[in-house]
Amino acid sequence: MKLQEVIDKLSLKALTDVEDRNVSGVHISDMLSEVMSSAQSENLWLTIQTHKNIVSAANLIDISAVIVTNGKIVPEDTIELANRYHVNILSYPEPAFKLVSKLIEAGIQ
Amino acid sequence: MKDETCTHSWEMMNVQPGFIITENCFRCDMISTYFSLEERPPLEEYREGDHFWNVMGSAQSIRFDLKCSKCSYLMTFEELCGLMMCTGCDEKCKIYKLMKEYEKERTWVYVAFGYLPIEGRKKLSPEKILALEQYFNQRRKSSTSKIKIVSDELVDNIRNCYAELIRDIDMISLKPPENK
Repeated sequence: MKLQEVIDKLSLKALTDVEDRNVSGVHISDMLSEVMSSAQSENLWLTIQTHKNIVSAANLIDISAVIVTNGKIVPEDTIELANRYHVNILSYPEPAFKLVSKLIEAGIQ
Repeated sequence: MKDETCTHSWEMMNVQPGFIITENCFRCDMISTYFSLEERPPLEEYREGDHFWNVMGSAQSIRFDLKCSKCSYLMTFEELCGLMMCTGCDEKCKIYKLMKEYEKERTWVYVAFGYLPIEGRKKLSPEKILALEQYFNQRRKSSTSKIKIVSDELVDNIRNCYAELIRDIDMISLKPPENK
């Protein structure tokens, strides 16, 4: 599935410019070190972390998009860095659990 | 035994969670970092020779090794403190220049940092840096970008560097989501 399709189906809000990518699988974690060891390329990464280091970790692992849940506000410096490194950051107003059920309904395993 | 002809296919092994501890000597102002496997980050100050170490901070992180799935060669990374993505804070820094050069081909530069102080600590060999680069590029699927990993020796002045290691900072200051 393509990222743009996921954004449209789930009405996710793009906080950065969106570069369309393949999406396969989801990783949920608020620990960057855990993402570095366990997330997979093309995963959607669900987190409440908003520090600019999420850009470094997402870029290193080749994450399709970081989805910041619970409507947490992402600082401007994180968004700036993400745009510079073509890392997609999306926002979802509800908790990760609700988003996961919608992602499964949308066919992402 | 290492097979010199093998085109390695790396896997992350022996992942150990722990803490990167940063401490400062109040007598000479030296900064030192090390990896602690203890369950809680140590807080006590202590004396080591002429140094009086005080903990400045700690962050959760991991330590890992890489193993080739083809030839079973195990490469250990006890010298690696963490990886840091260049954010371009200093135009005179060699890393900044490399970043500018590589970003044209969508290759992102990360610095492999050893522990502080750089002098007197075991350095990551070029072979290990190359293995890290191969590993993170092998993990990428459809991406049109690549990762370039370089040595921390190229950083002009570590004290002036604004980039941060990938580690779990600010974890205890995370606010829980508000009830709706």
